[in-house]
Amino acid sequence: MSEAPRDRTELAAQLAQASADGLPVSPRGGGTHSRVGHPEGRPRSSISTTQLDALIDYTPQDLTITVEAGMSVDRLGEIADQHGQFWPQVGAGAEATVGGVLASATSGLSRLRFGPVRDSLLQVVVATGDGRLITAGGRTVKGVSGYDLPRLMTGSFGSLGVIVEVTLKLWPRLPARRWFARSGADALDVGLALLSELYRPGAVIVSGDTTHVELVGQPEDVVAPAGFTPSEAPPPPIGTGVVRVGVTPARVRELLHALGGLGVPMSTQLGVGTCLVAVESTEQIAEVRAHAQRIGGHAVVDDAPDELRIDPWGPPPAGLEIMRRLKAAFDPAGVLNPGLMPGGI
Amino acid sequence: MGTATATASAARFRALLDSERVMEHPLERAIYARDGSITEGKCGLVVLPQTREEVSACVRVAAELGLAIVPRGSGTGLAGGAVPFDDAVVVSLARMNRILDIDPDVPCAWVEPGVLNLDISTAVADLDLHYAPDPSSQAACSIGGNVATNSGGPHCLAYGVTAQHIMGLEMVTADGSVLELGGPAPDPPGFDLRGLSVGGEGTLGLVTKVCVRLTRNPPAVRTMLLDFDSVAEGAATVGAIVAAGVVPAAMEMMDQKMNIAVEAFVGAGLPVDAATVLLVEVDGTPAQIAAEAELVQRVGREHGAREVRVAADETERQLLWKARKSAFGAVARVAPNYYLHDCVVPRTHLVDVLEEIGAIAERHDLVIMNVFHAGDGNLHPLIAFDRRDSDQVDRVYEAGREIIAACMAVGGVLSGEHGIGVEKRDFMPLQFGEIDLAAQADARCAFDPDGLMNPLKVLPAGSRCGELTVAPDSLPPGTWL
Ligand SMILES: Cc1cc2nc3c(=O)[nH]c(=O)nc-3n(C[C@H](O)[C@H](O)[C@H](O)COP(=O)(O)OP(=O)(O)OC[C@H]3O[C@@H](n4cnc5c(N)ncnc54)[C@H](O)[C@@H]3O)c2cc1C
Repeated sequence: MSEAPRDRTELAAQLAQASADGLPVSPRGGGTHSRVGHPEGRPRSSISTTQLDALIDYTPQDLTITVEAGMSVDRLGEIADQHGQFWPQVGAGAEATVGGVLASATSGLSRLRFGPVRDSLLQVVVATGDGRLITAGGRTVKGVSGYDLPRLMTGSFGSLGVIVEVTLKLWPRLPARRWFARSGADALDVGLALLSELYRPGAVIVSGDTTHVELVGQPEDVVAPAGFTPSEAPPPPIGTGVVRVGVTPARVRELLHALGGLGVPMSTQLGVGTCLVAVESTEQIAEVRAHAQRIGGHAVVDDAPDELRIDPWGPPPAGLEIMRRLKAAFDPAGVLNPGLMPGGI
Repeated sequence: MGTATATASAARFRALLDSERVMEHPLERAIYARDGSITEGKCGLVVLPQTREEVSACVRVAAELGLAIVPRGSGTGLAGGAVPFDDAVVVSLARMNRILDIDPDVPCAWVEPGVLNLDISTAVADLDLHYAPDPSSQAACSIGGNVATNSGGPHCLAYGVTAQHIMGLEMVTADGSVLELGGPAPDPPGFDLRGLSVGGEGTLGLVTKVCVRLTRNPPAVRTMLLDFDSVAEGAATVGAIVAAGVVPAAMEMMDQKMNIAVEAFVGAGLPVDAATVLLVEVDGTPAQIAAEAELVQRVGREHGAREVRVAADETERQLLWKARKSAFGAVARVAPNYYLHDCVVPRTHLVDVLEEIGAIAERHDLVIMNVFHAGDGNLHPLIAFDRRDSDQVDRVYEAGREIIAACMAVGGVLSGEHGIGVEKRDFMPLQFGEIDLAAQADARCAFDPDGLMNPLKVLPAGSRCGELTVAPDSLPPGTWL
């Protein structure tokens, strides 16, 4: 079964039916993150949000926009751009939907400056596994009314509910924004030096022997640092699979030193602590993870074929019991991507 | 659970903590029966653990005895979140006040929950860093309380509220177990329990350690005071600045009544004849502040600003901020008590809501003073009153209800930064449907299945699962005032 409901009511009804029948389903946005998590946690039946793509509300002076979750990130970008605004997650890929980006907590490359994607989610409407439509958060730029379910839904990979509508915080477009690059054996040193010199760069990323920096702000401030030339955003590393490592930004040097021996492509966001590593085998995944853990970090398989996702998440996170209870509350019949998440949740 | 239970259990807690850190004298309990709000409850016992192990041991004993727990930081909360009812045990984290580690390479700091907000910034000042969320109460409120209420402050307009600055936390949950959630390594696997816990108002667990993100001090700052002949002009300026593409570091508004009170208190040279003033700060690189300050002034003048005062130096800037941050204190010059809500409304509705609030004040013959985070539409209409005048008190509550209704009518939310606590919990159905509230109760229950952590807070009576320890009627009689 592969459903593409026309509206949220229909979607909720289909989920209620799936729950009643005990038939697992996999929520889908653009499908860009369908190679994450335990492979058996991705049922063949899917339910797609792509027909839920309406613009619900946009008041530019409020810097907030409400859209249905199946809207593509590119389309959202175009709408905001007409009013000189943007959502920092643009560039997530042509197929990506807004809901998919949130469900997978995929933050944009300029996270150093604009924060992770979860910081931009103000209100969410989700359809739970048993077909309830729940609203949480609020449409204003700020709010602490009740528990922060929007954050809970961010990064839950469709295992707690299907995100059907979101209100996002936008940013006014800055007068100038540009990438620069420089190559050399000292790419990491150059990057770390820039990180401490520059005031709030968009990103400082080391890929192989190239340092990439994104500058944002007034035209006077967006000029190539010494030795850099204008360039494009760095492409992600490509391999059979990609592992996303998270370590404290203070220990990125140690991480890169340890991973250097693998000789595989990688891309590291300085100041954030995220490092994407292209991998070819489960042995490499285990090795990357061991290095990450030794310095207090973690490594998850971000995108890989089934055979590389034997242990996609690593050791179970703290609070597994609480996570189980949350799963049971939001998806009582256990039909949404069952077993996809850490701990087989 | 009556007085006998918690108070009579003092000995059980004395077996865990030194005698002076378990308090059951009626006078001591009376002090802990209140916070910064106007709600008064009943406290059965106060315990002051100093370590995570002590917190956990206290929680285990309370769980064993079936006693409700109310976490407390500095007690400056404005929603009654730290107020105990039914003789609950207050667990104060104030004695856990060490800064454990500062890592300038992240930059972040691990601190205990009782550390005061401002003390973090002071401790890292020589590293050219600060902790960005700056509630006006920052010299008194604790970081644990900030995490629990997801506090805001003037500079949260550009830098984001507390949730965006908490990289990790350690929490003791209702069964006494210790959870370490997150840390400086980004995006740990699994559901975002750290994100869910921020803003939990002490109902999900006791925060015993926090990893706060630190922020670079901006290389340049410019602070401007714009004054207007009408509130509408000031409010329109706020929207126009944002619409023109500038999100200032902070954008705060004070109306005339508030200006007069603050000026008498601080003497910052505020224009007391103006209907309203707007305090706008831009920060960043010199080029950025030059461009943004120019725009702020131009937009202000276009919308009727009479004068734009630019702080000439750091001393003058500090004076202007002192004026803003003393506002709540200055109300004492007008009346002995104040009551406030902190709804957020879309910026586009600031003018009409402020006018409506003015009308509500007039209708109920009350003094309402406005000081608020205008940039994000977060209102703080303060109703100045005297609690000894019971007729006035009734009018205060009625006016409060009407203010909330006016904010909700334009698509606002109940609270921007003070939290729901007990004072706003019964308004929750104005913002959320039954199904939504049940889902919130579920989330809470996942952490605290027996409902012993700060019961009666956040969710209205009768919400499924959340209110196991009390009958689903309302608060104990005589709870407020
Ligand atoms: C003059 C004045 C100005 C203020 N200005 C602002 C402002 O600008 N912005 C703003 O956001 N707030 C403001 N406040 C409100 C208040 O200061 C904040 O809500 C603050 O975060 C409360 O911190 P606290 O340590 O005093 O917490 P408390 O009042 O002790 O507790 C608040 C809540 O947090 C819980 N809690 C406390 N510590 C812990 C812990 N360690 N673990 C779990 N739960 C805990 C309590 O149970 C309670 O629900 C102001 C208050 C006053 C009196």
